[in-house]
Amino acid sequence: MKKLSLLFSLLFLLVGCSSEKTEQASAQPSSEDKTQKGKTEVVFWHAMEGDLGKVLNEIVHDFNTSQSTVEVKPVFQGTYEEALTKFNAVAGTKDAPTIMQTFEVGTKYMIDSGKIEPVQTFIDQDHYDVSQWEKNIVNYYTVNGTIYSMPFNSSTPVLIYNKDAFKKAGLDPEKPPMTYSELKEAARKLTKNGNYGFSILNYGWFFEQMLAVQGGLYVNEENGRKGEATEAVFNSEEGLRVFKLIQDMYKEGTFYNVGQNWDDMRAAFQSGKIAMYLDSSAGVRTIVDSAPFEVGVSYLPIPDGVERQGVIIGGASLWMIKDADEAQKKAAWEFMKYLTTPEVQAKWHVKTGYFAINPAAYDLPLVKEQWKKYPQLKVTVNQLKETKATPATQGALISVFPQSRQRVVSAMESLYQGVDPKEALDRAVAETNRELEMARKR
Amino acid sequence: MFRSVKQNFEGMLYIFPSFLLFAIFVFYPMVRTGYLSVHMTDFQGNPTNFIGLEHFRYLLEDVNFQQSVKATLLFVLYTVPPTIIIALSLALLANEKVKGIQLFRTLFSSTLGMSVAASSVIWMFMYNPAIGVINRIIAALGGEERQWLLNPDTALIAAAVATVWMNIGFAFLILLGGLQNIDSSLYENAKIAGVSYMYQLRRITIPLLSPTLFFVTTVSLIHAFQTFGQIDILTKGGPMNATTVIVYSIYREAFINYNFGFASAQAVVLFFIVLLVTIVQFAVVERKVHYQ
Amino acid sequence: MSIFRSMVTYILLVIGAVIVMFPIGYAFIISFLSGAQLLQGVLWPDEWSLRNYVTAFEKVPLLRYLWNSFIVSFIVMIGQLLVSSLAAYAFVFLRFWGRDVLFFMTIATMLIPWEATVIPNFLTIQKLGWTNSYLGLTVPFFALAFGIFLLRQHFKTIPFELYEAAQVSGVRHFRFFWYVVLPLSKTSLATLGVYSFLTTWNMYLWPLLVTNDEKVRTVQIGLKQMQTQEMATEWGVVMAAVVIVIMPTLLLLFIGQKQLQKGLMQGAIK
Repeated sequence: MKKLSLLFSLLFLLVGCSSEKTEQASAQPSSEDKTQKGKTEVVFWHAMEGDLGKVLNEIVHDFNTSQSTVEVKPVFQGTYEEALTKFNAVAGTKDAPTIMQTFEVGTKYMIDSGKIEPVQTFIDQDHYDVSQWEKNIVNYYTVNGTIYSMPFNSSTPVLIYNKDAFKKAGLDPEKPPMTYSELKEAARKLTKNGNYGFSILNYGWFFEQMLAVQGGLYVNEENGRKGEATEAVFNSEEGLRVFKLIQDMYKEGTFYNVGQNWDDMRAAFQSGKIAMYLDSSAGVRTIVDSAPFEVGVSYLPIPDGVERQGVIIGGASLWMIKDADEAQKKAAWEFMKYLTTPEVQAKWHVKTGYFAINPAAYDLPLVKEQWKKYPQLKVTVNQLKETKATPATQGALISVFPQSRQRVVSAMESLYQGVDPKEALDRAVAETNRELEMARKR
Repeated sequence: MFRSVKQNFEGMLYIFPSFLLFAIFVFYPMVRTGYLSVHMTDFQGNPTNFIGLEHFRYLLEDVNFQQSVKATLLFVLYTVPPTIIIALSLALLANEKVKGIQLFRTLFSSTLGMSVAASSVIWMFMYNPAIGVINRIIAALGGEERQWLLNPDTALIAAAVATVWMNIGFAFLILLGGLQNIDSSLYENAKIAGVSYMYQLRRITIPLLSPTLFFVTTVSLIHAFQTFGQIDILTKGGPMNATTVIVYSIYREAFINYNFGFASAQAVVLFFIVLLVTIVQFAVVERKVHYQ
Repeated sequence: MSIFRSMVTYILLVIGAVIVMFPIGYAFIISFLSGAQLLQGVLWPDEWSLRNYVTAFEKVPLLRYLWNSFIVSFIVMIGQLLVSSLAAYAFVFLRFWGRDVLFFMTIATMLIPWEATVIPNFLTIQKLGWTNSYLGLTVPFFALAFGIFLLRQHFKTIPFELYEAAQVSGVRHFRFFWYVVLPLSKTSLATLGVYSFLTTWNMYLWPLLVTNDEKVRTVQIGLKQMQTQEMATEWGVVMAAVVIVIMPTLLLLFIGQKQLQKGLMQGAIK
């Protein structure tokens, strides 16, 4: 036992020495005390992992050094779900942040929580001009005429395809499939030697998008925008088309099931296992960079003879917390305004692939230059610009979105086991309805 | 009489730290869980209105929950016996007195040092259908590639295999300790008597190892019922809920769906299932355990 | 031992070792591959460059996290050894009212899925003002039913006559506990110590909840921080982080194994 503890203290020393060095090295500007410099501290909770977190920290650092009154402290809090759980527990206490980043499905939940201050309050106070923001993005976060949160990292789904594989299969790499029948046809030609034509991640978001692009609604009451949604309606003709497409192609052997993991899907694409798939526009840049072949990006395919409505904005937004004191809220608003300047948005867009919520950013040289290098990024922006503002493309507003997505994922998975599309959809709808009913009882 | 009061007091003193902590961090949350299970809760987890046994009634007829119970029991079955058998075989091997055995003992116990998060990331990569090593090996041997984690028929087994691997180190170390505690003169006597290896195993090793085996089995069973991390990373409960074990279902209800009341009801059910299994363990199996 | 038998033993040992070690070796190899190589299915690195490791350290303050993990794991280990051995001693050697009921309650605590108690526990820690501190990360884990159970099983193998002899010669309980029982139980104490160190090292959800910034955050959170959802994860870097994260515990196990083994041997000579 003695020897064992000796061993521990030895290891301790080893790590201790090396860590002291890092302590000094990692004493970033963000960790300084507010009282020392008289700056107002704004705690900003986010869920940006990996490279995204790095870019975000850079932007925050730029902001902190650009002025002398506000100090923003970004803190990573795990995934969106984990961050929200924690926020739930600390809201109203001293541990609560001033700014909180939440994903789009949490919108209704945040509004209902009563713990947030709509950014509209500050927009009005400040006579801030919102028209400079991308209207389709603002659209999602506007509920009953009030802008509740500040859009920040927004993305949409796109079709990504392997141009080299297109050439080899005798397809025109500049003419990606736009309709279901073209998609099926292309997939047939691309399927060979154990490789597959097409794939969609088993993730509710993609289903919602393929529904919206046809103008299909997810829940009643105009997608919950007109009033409290009481029933799911995605087992409509539009929803059924999506499910049928997946099952038909899977049965034909041209569709590859990639599961629910984003990385598995991208690995399958980059290793040539699949030639086309749907991805988030935020992933486009890294895919183009890392794929060993030429990558094409196109719009979401639609069923034949249906008018294209456009896409729902995905991603996350920033929320102001009500319980913070006035000075902090003001300071947080300053930071939010900084984030929406064209320069910051340009940097954000080119470094991550998320949209610039301020379209003026697209005219800056930084973006223009990048677009020359990555013309694929422009496609994603255009798809969003062409979107029609309807309840369908505004996106559904329900508090039980996470549950509903789980049901949809199960339904998608059951397609590969040969369950009838109609039956699978009906079951997901019935289960979502029950969740809606439970939520009303709370 | 005085002596017994003093003894009582002293006993209490020794267990006081444990029970103070248990009271705060286990019993209180447990009572709270029971309380929440008969309520509807708001998104913060505060009870809103009393609904009696409605959550439980719903659980009884919910096909998803039935699937969870089934997945949990299967998972326990797929993980506990293989872990014990493999770990025992390795421990018996590593108990042989041959040169360099220390190295093998170290290697066999190494999975104990692997965190669930790290191990799951590695296994996820190995299972990857497109670039993972498992399919590569199968393809090289002329077999058919499989999507291990995406097929409802194989996902649970795949998660179980990874779990068995993660648990081997711990079970191995405990069992090896047990083996080394067995008086070696017994084996020498057996050697003189010239009995076979299997006979020796059945008549000396297993009975004398039984307290350790009992301990490892009990703990492994409880751990298996509470498996969470690898499910979260490897399959997220899918495909088609094939790997949604009860703890994962609880986690999902509580931390993704913010349905604390419903999650609490599931926790109560799980508690009783594990309680039942453990009572059976102690009542039936411990009788056969041979304490010195 | 016959040559044939030791040959068979060696062959089996090697097969076992290869299977057990394979995933770890695999992770090690992957950590030297670049993202593109990985996706193209390269199985062996053409150069052993530390690029991924450097990136991993740049991305998150891994050293700080490693240090925090060490402190937290060490405190929990000491706390668990003390608290558990005291309780186990009482359960084996002392007679007091409600002993069996209390033991049963101890075992029952193992049956509670930890995920179900997280929220109330988090609120408790918050009321105590222990969030974002080593206290909040360690104290809730000091009492461990598993530890009490493990030590009880071992204490039971200590001949009761020893205890009776001590009682007759008037040795106080604490002296008996400290100078007789604990030294006789090195095996289990060492095992429990290593076990609690490793399990604490490997915690994820709790440290994420009770910490607010990198001051006290542990290394498993760093691992999570490296994986992204919406953008492609650099698997080589993640695997490098995996190797960094498992290295200290593996090292502990490798170095500690011999000590552990000695402890096991001493425990055997009663």
